Amino acid sequence: MTQAFLSIRKLRKAFGAFTAVHDVTLDIPKGEFLTFLGPSGSGKSTTLYAIAGFQDPTSGDVLLQGKSLLSIPSHKRNIGMVFQRYTLFPHLSVAENVAFPLRVRRRPDGEVKRKVADMLALVRLENFAERLPAALSGGQQQRVALARALAYDPPILLMDEPLSALDKKLREEIQAEIRRIHRETGVTILYVTHDQEEALHLSDRIALFRSGRIAQIGTGEDLYLRPANEFVAGFIGNSNFLAVEHLETENGAAVVRLADGSIVKGVKAADKLDRGQKARLMVRPEAFHLTGVPGTASLAVEIVDAAFFGDRRRVVARTASGDEIDVRPTSDAADPDGADAGSSRQIFFDPAAAFLFPA
Amino acid sequence: MSVQAQQGIATLRIPEGLGGLLPALILIGLFFVVPVLALLLRSVTDPAPGLQNYAALLGDGTYARVFFNTFLVAAVVTIVTVLVAFPVAWMLAIMPPALASILFGIIILSMWTNLLTRTYAWMVLLQRTGVINRALIGAGIIDQPLPLINNLTGVTIGMVYIMLPFMILPLVGTLRAIDPMTLRAAALCGASPLAAFRRILLPLSLPGIAAGGLMVFVMSLGYFVTPALLGGTSNMMLAEMIAQMIQSMLNWGLGSAAAFILLVVTMALYALQLRLVGSKRAVGGA
Repeated sequence: MTQAFLSIRKLRKAFGAFTAVHDVTLDIPKGEFLTFLGPSGSGKSTTLYAIAGFQDPTSGDVLLQGKSLLSIPSHKRNIGMVFQRYTLFPHLSVAENVAFPLRVRRRPDGEVKRKVADMLALVRLENFAERLPAALSGGQQQRVALARALAYDPPILLMDEPLSALDKKLREEIQAEIRRIHRETGVTILYVTHDQEEALHLSDRIALFRSGRIAQIGTGEDLYLRPANEFVAGFIGNSNFLAVEHLETENGAAVVRLADGSIVKGVKAADKLDRGQKARLMVRPEAFHLTGVPGTASLAVEIVDAAFFGDRRRVVARTASGDEIDVRPTSDAADPDGADAGSSRQIFFDPAAAFLFPA
Repeated sequence: MSVQAQQGIATLRIPEGLGGLLPALILIGLFFVVPVLALLLRSVTDPAPGLQNYAALLGDGTYARVFFNTFLVAAVVTIVTVLVAFPVAWMLAIMPPALASILFGIIILSMWTNLLTRTYAWMVLLQRTGVINRALIGAGIIDQPLPLINNLTGVTIGMVYIMLPFMILPLVGTLRAIDPMTLRAAALCGASPLAAFRRILLPLSLPGIAAGGLMVFVMSLGYFVTPALLGGTSNMMLAEMIAQMIQSMLNWGLGSAAAFILLVVTMALYALQLRLVGSKRAVGGA
C-alpha cells in the first residue's frame, strides 16, 4: 500500500482526567472526502483541532506526506479551514477576505487579483466582491469562507460543522456546492458534522466517533448495511432492536428465538455469541413488509398507529415483549390496507437484512 | 392600518415628549449653557470689552509654551495609556468572565479611590528619596536617584495611572465583540501572530481605542491636580495656568479666555472623532 497522504497516529487528547480522544489512528488518501461523524463530545472536533494546530495532542502524531505537523505552528501548516461560526474578517470586503491569505504570503498583486477572481467564481459570488461580510447572508458568508480557505491551494481543507448555523434548504444547497467544489479542486477534505444525512450525502468515507474512539470507518453503505456494532447500527439511519435469544450458529449465520417464540435463521452477527446468550436483533424500519414471501421471518405484533405517505407507510407496532417498533414498508400494491390501529397481525422481514448484537 | 397607527403614536408622542423634557432642558440651560456663555462674555469684557485677552494668550510666547506643553502632556499620556491598556483589556476580554469581573472590580475600586490620595501616593513613590529610587539604589542598579518627579515623567506616570480605567473599559467592550475564532481563522490563513494583530485585531479594535483615547486626551487637557503635584514649574499645564490667573493674578478675563480656548479645542477634537467614526460606520453599513 502506498503511503497515506494524511496520517493520524494513535492520537490522544486528555483534558485533565477526561480523555476526549483515545488513540485514534486513521489514514486518509489524497483527494478523499472523509467525514468525522458523531454525537457532540465524541472527540471529532478535538481531532480536527489537533490537525489544525489549535490543540496540542497529549500523545500521538499527525503526519502529512510522512512529515509530522505537530511542531509546526498553525500559521505555517498551510491548511485551509472553514469554521462553524462565521469567521470572515468584518472590516474587510469579500475580495479582501479571500485575498488575505495571499497578502500575508506576500504574493504579487496581479496573482492575488487573479486568484481572488478565480475563487469567487468557484463559489459563484463574483458580483459580491466589494461587499462587506455583514451585507451577506449566512450561506454566502460560508461560501466566502470556503473561497478564503481554498485561495492558497492548501493540500487539506478542514470543515468544522460549517453548515450547522444555516437552515435546512440552504444547507442542502451548499452541500451540493461543496460536492461540486471537491470534484473540481480535488482537495482532500476532512469534514466534521453531527448530521448523518449530511455525512452520507457528502462523504467518500465516514469515520463514526463515539466517546473519543472511532466506532467504525467506511463508506456510508458500509455503515448502514454492515454496521460493526450496536452503536453504529443505532446511530446511522433508523433502527429497531428486538430482544432475542441466540440459539446456535449455523452455516456462519446465527439462529435466534424472538420474544413471540418464533425461530429466525440466517441472521448476520457482528460478534461471536454463546448458546442461549441474550442478544438484540437490529431490523431497519424499511426492511419490514406487511406481506410475507417465502424465506422471510415473521413477527406477531399489535398495530399502535398507521399512516399512509404515498411512497411508503409508517406503522408503529408493539411486539409481544412490549417493545414499540418503527415499521416503514414501501407501499406497493401487494400490501394489504389492513394495518389498522388496534389490530393484531404478522409483519415480515428478511433475516439477511437483520443484524445480531450482544445485549 | 399599521401606518395610521404609527402616525397616531408619532403625533401623540412629540408634544408629550417635549413637555416631559422641559425640566431637563431648564436644568441643562441653567447649569451648563448659561455658565459657558457667561465664561465667553467675561473673556471678552473683563477688564474691558474687546479681544485683548485672546490676543494676549495667543500672542505671548510664555502662554504659547503652556498650550504646547498641555497638548504634549495630553498626547504622551494618551499614547502611553493606550499602550498599557491594550494588553490589559485584551486579557480581560478573553479570560473567564468570573475572573474578569473580579479584576474589573479592582479597576473600578481604584477609580473610586480619592484622586488626591492616589497622586500623593505617587509622590511618595517617585520622589528623590522615594520608594522607587531607594529600591533601585539599594539594588545597586543606579548610583544617583532618577529624576522621576517634578517633570514630564512624573506627570505622565501619575496621569496614565489615573486615566487607565477610562481607556480599559471602552476597549474591553470593543475587544469582547471580536470573535476569538476570527483570529484562529487568520492564523490558519497563514497570518503570524504579529500579522494577525496588525491586520485583524488592531483594525477591529480601533473604535474602542478612538473612544477611550479621545476621553483620555480631553480629560488630560484640562487636568489640574496631578500635573500640579507631580509636574515641574517648567512644564506647567493650562489648568494650572488658569488657576494662577484667577487665584494669584485675579485676572478673571484672561482665565476665562484660556478656559474657553480649551473648550473650543476639545469640541473640535470631539467633532473630528465623530466624523471619523461616523464615516467608518457608513462604510460598515454599505
